[in-house]
Amino acid sequence: MKLKQFGLTIIFFTLINFTVIAHPNKSTPTTLNIELTLKQQLGEYHPPYVASWIENSQGKPVRTLLLWREQAKWLKDIRRWWRKVGKKDAELVDGITSATRITGKYPLSFLAENDEKASLKKGKYTLFIEVVRENGGRAIIRQPFSLNGEKSTFTLAATNETDEIKFSVTP
Amino acid sequence: MNVKKFIALTLTCAISTQAFAHSRWVLPTHFNLSAENGEWIMVDITASNETFNVDKAMGADFVKIIMPDGKTSRPSSTYKGHRKSVADYFLKESGTYKITNNSNAAYMTTYEIDGDRKRLWANKTELSGKLPDQAKEIQTTYRYSRIESYVTMNTPSNNFNTDGKLLELVPVTHPSDIAENEKVMFKFLFNGKAQKNVSVEITADGVRYRNDPQTIKLRSNAKGEITFTPQNAGRYLLIAEHQENTPKSTLADKQMGSVFLTFEAQLN
Repeated sequence: MKLKQFGLTIIFFTLINFTVIAHPNKSTPTTLNIELTLKQQLGEYHPPYVASWIENSQGKPVRTLLLWREQAKWLKDIRRWWRKVGKKDAELVDGITSATRITGKYPLSFLAENDEKASLKKGKYTLFIEVVRENGGRAIIRQPFSLNGEKSTFTLAATNETDEIKFSVTP
Repeated sequence: MNVKKFIALTLTCAISTQAFAHSRWVLPTHFNLSAENGEWIMVDITASNETFNVDKAMGADFVKIIMPDGKTSRPSSTYKGHRKSVADYFLKESGTYKITNNSNAAYMTTYEIDGDRKRLWANKTELSGKLPDQAKEIQTTYRYSRIESYVTMNTPSNNFNTDGKLLELVPVTHPSDIAENEKVMFKFLFNGKAQKNVSVEITADGVRYRNDPQTIKLRSNAKGEITFTPQNAGRYLLIAEHQENTPKSTLADKQMGSVFLTFEAQLN
């Protein structure tokens, strides 16, 4: 083997190794797809305040996916989310806020990352969706799921504030 | 259990039942608030054995609010009615506020005369001339009651300073984190030290509308702690009491501290 050839071979193998080591689980990051539905209501209607977030298996919140709200005064009414997340993190609240939505279907997609944009580790989590409406009711939906490299799909039963919601975890 | 122990235990129970006879509480309109530019609360102040229906107005003169920075402030206005007093207060800064309507520490002497139980606000050295000659069963108690609640606006703070006077409750679970079906822990101090065996009763709102008050009865452990799990979201009144004989004191035969804490268990 000539020296040049030997050198190239080394480089070639190094590249392969490098590729393998640098991307141990490299694939497209897992996405969480939620087809959120806000139910048609009768009578006086104020668009609901909505928060959706993920808690780990210890019940610790790791990521707020969305917050649809208007005035700060009513944030406390998104009870669990405010207690576990909102009250403690004014910056996060500002950063994630968007306007309330009316009745309808909202397809949404999120990367399975924590609030610091790092990929969530393999393991068990729970998706929460909390919907609170002035002069209406409150609904809280909990759906346990796993991040284990496998696809899973869930249909979340309708509540007083939501129609059926499709939720999928796609690696 | 031998007979002596049994009698001792029965007596303890009898004393606690008697001592728990009179409730006082403060009830804020909100326990948890979110706001950009501050928020108003109002507080009901009453002496009532019915949780949380008002009965007799207590004055709001002693109402103090300990702000998140530890400074003390007062209600902006108060009103005294026949059944309750109300206090108005504006929360300006984020954090946890402690609302108190503590009594003044005082010496109370009780005695019996012709089968009637009477009381007199005096310590042992002040009794001569005030006490009828036939008075029996004379006992002087140094008493102090804390009537309190916590209100949190936005980010909670640990506004849990203690002053070491008789009985104190220190939240281990932050009051703004209390939720239905989640374990709550509080700690009791007596004269600044962890106190075991403090009698505690916890009753949920709405006693008027149920036959069984469903009061939770607990005793603090060796570290002064109690743990319990509120079964429902709602407002709760916690009443704690502890007393000790003070044989060395020339002023009182015993000292007794009580705490009346109003808190909210949130929906989960």
